[in-house]
Amino acid sequence: MPTNLASGAEYDTVGQKRWIWPAFAIPGVVWLCLLFLVPFYAIFAVAMGSIHPILSRPVPEWNPIYWDPTIFAEVLGELFGGQLGSTALRTIGYVFIASALCLLIGYPVAYFVSRKAGRFRWLWLLLILAPFWINYLMRMMSWVNLLSPDGQVNQFLSLFGVQSFPDWLSGHHFVVILGLVYGYIPFFILPLFAALDRIDDATLEASRDLGASNWQTFWRVTWPLSRNGVLGGLVIIMLPMFGDYYTPNLLSGSPRTRMLGNTIDQFINQTTSQGAVGAALTIVLMVFVAGLMIYYLVTINRATEEARG
Amino acid sequence: MTYHPRENWNPSRRRRVYTRRDFLQRAAVLGIAIPALPSILAACAERGGGEGAELVIGTPSSPVQQPLFDDNPAIDSGLEPESGPLRLYNWEDYINPEIIPMAAEALGVEIEETTFFNEEEALSRLSSGEVSYDVWFPTSQRIPVAVTANLIQPLNHDYLPNLSANVWPQLADPYYDQGSRYTAPYVLYTTGIGWRTDMVDSADIEGQENPWDVFWNPEYSGVMGLLDSFTDTIALALFRNGVADPSQASEADLTAAGDALVELVDLMNVRYTIDGAYAGIPEGRFALHHAWSGDLVNSQYYWPEDGDYTVTRYLWPASSEGSTVNGPISNDTMAIPVNAERPVLAHQFINFMLDADNSLTNFEWVGYQPPQNHITPDFLIENEYAADFLRPALVTPEDFERDSVWVQGPLDAETEALWSDQWTRATSG
Repeated sequence: MPTNLASGAEYDTVGQKRWIWPAFAIPGVVWLCLLFLVPFYAIFAVAMGSIHPILSRPVPEWNPIYWDPTIFAEVLGELFGGQLGSTALRTIGYVFIASALCLLIGYPVAYFVSRKAGRFRWLWLLLILAPFWINYLMRMMSWVNLLSPDGQVNQFLSLFGVQSFPDWLSGHHFVVILGLVYGYIPFFILPLFAALDRIDDATLEASRDLGASNWQTFWRVTWPLSRNGVLGGLVIIMLPMFGDYYTPNLLSGSPRTRMLGNTIDQFINQTTSQGAVGAALTIVLMVFVAGLMIYYLVTINRATEEARG
Repeated sequence: MTYHPRENWNPSRRRRVYTRRDFLQRAAVLGIAIPALPSILAACAERGGGEGAELVIGTPSSPVQQPLFDDNPAIDSGLEPESGPLRLYNWEDYINPEIIPMAAEALGVEIEETTFFNEEEALSRLSSGEVSYDVWFPTSQRIPVAVTANLIQPLNHDYLPNLSANVWPQLADPYYDQGSRYTAPYVLYTTGIGWRTDMVDSADIEGQENPWDVFWNPEYSGVMGLLDSFTDTIALALFRNGVADPSQASEADLTAAGDALVELVDLMNVRYTIDGAYAGIPEGRFALHHAWSGDLVNSQYYWPEDGDYTVTRYLWPASSEGSTVNGPISNDTMAIPVNAERPVLAHQFINFMLDADNSLTNFEWVGYQPPQNHITPDFLIENEYAADFLRPALVTPEDFERDSVWVQGPLDAETEALWSDQWTRATSG
């Protein structure tokens, strides 16, 4: 050990000042405070606030002394059995079905690209990512063109003699779900690709050497090793899906396909005097989604500890 | 579905009204001032406090003058224009992009445009006092709020010779702001029904006693849509149910309107959109859509090349023959925010927009009519600015004098809560 650095508590064992490493957390902490905690507090302040007498719009109540949580009881009442119950259930249903489809479609794609695509891997990745250089809204609007009654999808179908077409945009659950899948699937594929890519070929060879079939190798080696990637990908796509409102807006517009994001949007942008209700609903949704996040973190944490033995 | 209004979800009924005293108390407790609030609240206080401030709301049958305040005078006459840039605050896509360089050249300054997506956003930015624009384009129903909240300044008519020279008398001295103390009119619109004759039997709408009822005609299930705009759509359901003045609707009226809209989900597979009339009808997504009059004029640019624009129709139930129900009319205005940095230039710009030729140039692109004396429906049709089959989409000065018109006023928070409840029901499926 270099003697000149071992003189005091200011230095740690590798000779760095003690504050240096923790200091790396500062940008993250500042980021978290400015872009998460402050806005989150502001949403609380709006939920607990009052209404401006002239402008008829929410005035945030910044002082917690005056906060009155009954608005949450009302919003929860509406979500469980009230006006918003069906919207909440539909949102959960859409997100889970869309996530399951992302898993079914995305896993083979990620598997192929990471393990079977050989030297053209970069090309496959590029092709998967290329559409995402275009804004999400623009891509959804293109779907509106593709799916409209005289759009390209129906023109294509008519080449095969199909005479009557479904009216794709008239409020079908599956169209909205497909929109969600299309919109979010690359965010699922990428982390999964990274997880699959990290699997050491030697473990797979070992599995085969020990007599496992291809299927057994997948099920007992590859799948468990990629599970955290799957979970991470699912969390990444589910969080924004729960808040999505433009996908159902553009691809349907029907009350039958309304999601909670639409309801929040309505309280914030249309019936603005009800902004407090929108804010409370936002917080309830965030708490629900945080539940998913915590499940993910706990699982990952456990896996990391198991790996350490 | 039975739905008693008392059981309704209505948090705002119990919500506190914010007063200046509350604010000062709380600011003292916190020892801080929130930057956005003091300006609004101070403004309220000077108006006699948040509780006492009354909005002055006019209708065509009972016009009103907006109050003037000593601390908010109009600018003096004969001032030299400031140097630029002039800052506009407008709806998105609501001014001809060619007009801006023309005005910049005429006024000899640069012009910058900032846009807003909805008026709530615009009101909150202006009331924060942290931004400064020179010309703002609010709808007429926002004027009472903007005046009472001290957001706009009075106009000096010496700078606006075009106002009395060119503008329809009904709007040079409008019901919502008699004497045009604070505003000059921008463009006009009615709200009605848009359809295409190849997919809808026009006889189901034209000549009907209650044209609004077509939205409940199951023959058009799956091909109809309503505006994703709660005031327009709740008002539509109220009109359809025979309510003459939606502003005076009782809770029972509103519940019935909500019931009627809920019925549309299964009966008609209704969809709520904003682009359904101007883009959805040409694309064939809709045969029939609740529409603003300018939507149908603009829809000509959305037809595919092999499409036939001439099948487009518009009907405003307030003016259609045989109709016994009412319909909405409204207009946008130009106003100068109270903290505008270039009020003289702003006046000159407003006068420029009220010029006969300039307003016509603007119409060509915007599709919504300015209330100019020479811009009559006949003039627009003869000069091919608008198609003859869309004559009902063109507004005339007399339209403001019909008994069957309704103008939307600002909803107070309590009433809006009732409308909001019904809107949530209608759109939740």
